[in-house]
Amino acid sequence: MSEEELLNKLSEAVVACDRDSVVKVAHEAIEKGLDPVKAIEKGLSKGAMIVGEKFDRLEIFLTDLMMAAEAMQAGLDTLLPLISEEKVLKKGIVVSGTVKGDIHDIGKNILVALFSANGFDVHDLGVDVSTSKFIEEAEKVGADIIALSALMSSTIGGQKDVIDYLRETGKREKFIVMVGGGPTTLEWAEEIGADGYAETATEAVKVAAGLVEKKRS
Amino acid sequence: MVVFLDVIEKSLTGKPCSERDFDLRIFSTKLRQIVKEYDIRYDPENLVPSDNTLADDIFKAAFDFYCEVGTYCKDTERIIRFDESEIKEGLRNAPSTIVFGEGVDSGTMIPRKPEDKTPPWRFVGAGGVAVSSEDVFMGLVENYAKIPLANSITTPTLTRVDGMRIRPYSPLEILGAIRTVALGREAIRRAGRPGLPILNSIATADSAIALVAGLHPQYGLRPTDGYMVATLAELKTNFDLLNRVCALKSLGLPTAAIFGPIFGGYCGGPEGTAIVTVAYHLMGALVYQAGWFLAFPIHIKHIASSMPELLWVSSVYAQAISRNTDLLALYYDYTAAGPCTEMCLYEMAAQYTAAVTSGVSMETGGIAKGRREDYLTPIEPRFAAEVAYAAAGMKREGANEIVKDLAAKYVDKIADPPIGMKYQECCDFKTGKPSRKCLNIYDSVKKELKDMGVDLNRT
Repeated sequence: MSEEELLNKLSEAVVACDRDSVVKVAHEAIEKGLDPVKAIEKGLSKGAMIVGEKFDRLEIFLTDLMMAAEAMQAGLDTLLPLISEEKVLKKGIVVSGTVKGDIHDIGKNILVALFSANGFDVHDLGVDVSTSKFIEEAEKVGADIIALSALMSSTIGGQKDVIDYLRETGKREKFIVMVGGGPTTLEWAEEIGADGYAETATEAVKVAAGLVEKKRS
Repeated sequence: MVVFLDVIEKSLTGKPCSERDFDLRIFSTKLRQIVKEYDIRYDPENLVPSDNTLADDIFKAAFDFYCEVGTYCKDTERIIRFDESEIKEGLRNAPSTIVFGEGVDSGTMIPRKPEDKTPPWRFVGAGGVAVSSEDVFMGLVENYAKIPLANSITTPTLTRVDGMRIRPYSPLEILGAIRTVALGREAIRRAGRPGLPILNSIATADSAIALVAGLHPQYGLRPTDGYMVATLAELKTNFDLLNRVCALKSLGLPTAAIFGPIFGGYCGGPEGTAIVTVAYHLMGALVYQAGWFLAFPIHIKHIASSMPELLWVSSVYAQAISRNTDLLALYYDYTAAGPCTEMCLYEMAAQYTAAVTSGVSMETGGIAKGRREDYLTPIEPRFAAEVAYAAAGMKREGANEIVKDLAAKYVDKIADPPIGMKYQECCDFKTGKPSRKCLNIYDSVKKELKDMGVDLNRT
């Protein structure tokens, strides 16, 4: 099998949400001496991009997106140990979760899946996450972005709490803070001093990529 | 007969399962299988289908699906399951009538059937959408209560107490819950309809403790008001929600199960969303022992329910439930467009024509996706109640043509809808009366609907 065929097979296996096949082809790629960085970028990530685009057009649904993310992760687990730390190209490190008092997770799960699919290193803290937990985790993993989800008009105050806490502890400039979820709007994001806002998870990935690029430049 | 303690026992002893496995390998897998097995298919030409077999197949599919999948309890990480006979008995035992309200403002909610001439229950107001101040809250609720066709009120949610933004599970939430109750009752009294029931008590309560705080009789809630308990997507609950059921049941209060299955989420497409919407009614009857049911299937991306696929869902779930049970079922809408826009009224008209003709009642829901504070006026609920009233008795075939024509007017704008205007921009702040501009839009859309064959003269 040629290099191109292997890369296509990796991509197709992610699109097909076929975890076993992804792992099998990843091993084949290793045996054939394919550069693991290339296998990730031109194989797994390409498949993940296709999945993200299909989900955006609702040609596939959330279950497919989550299964594809699992398949992608299985491929990464196979290939990443072969890559030296400095070669691992990440678009950014994200700490994500639903704010304190809010137990809704579907929007956050979509965001996590799409961030992962697009090459971000995502640390998902789950739901009902305390303000300090977001910040501790962001410091621990050296996050670029703290992504705060909230579904209820009564819980979006938790987004403001994280930003205020960062500001009052002198840590605001260390992280990009993005907000999203049902009742959030651009006006709300501006009011509380967030760096980024998006109405959908797909837009959030684009906004995040732009903000990280700006931060790093 | 399943009693509430049996539900708690099942939540503690049911099959253990991770949440991810429940979502991806139990719920989603079984749903795909059952859609295929029953050959359920969305038909864009028939948004309000007249095919009784389709409705009955969706009911059977949902019954089989729920028997196998059950409800996931997030706190115990176990699955609450019921067998076929328990579900049948639960449906039989659910009330088929509830009297809400007091004195001359009281009324009886009864089940309907497709093409039923019986007017739907008209649960009118904000659908729990947020407002920025108590003044806006009072102005809106007072004017909701003045809507002639309103037979119950759904209040907004307060987001601030004395200017402080409410945080969940905090004292501010408890104060907000209490104020919602007291202000709502006072606003209705000021409108001259003191017996009108508030059915979304208590909108500002996100937690069981805030709900219980607001229930104290001295704040004004009554046993003839309505009380809602939410579910979690999809087919999930937790102890905080079950605590609310427990408190409400202990007081004998009429409890609703509310659920918003997500089109494009774990439900998949329109077929899966329709089946899951029906399954939620079974969950409500069994897990929450609910007496009435409120469904709002919603689009994962657009946070609205007016697109053709969801109009079909609202029709077929309503037909499935109303043809196969005597549950007291209501449909709640989400519009993409905001107040004081033609599009918002078209979206509402399409949704309520589809749902009411298909056999359920209605609650007016989230305007402008329910995401913007104060994007509410009394005009939209008034219009929705009038359309719903006029749709009673309409044939499904005729409704289908009207619904398709209405959807064609806005479907291209759903991705980028007009946000409309805030209450403060649409209405006189002192009287709550809508501006001439708002009324002109209302009048012109009503005229269009009359020309399309909706009998609004009766209202």
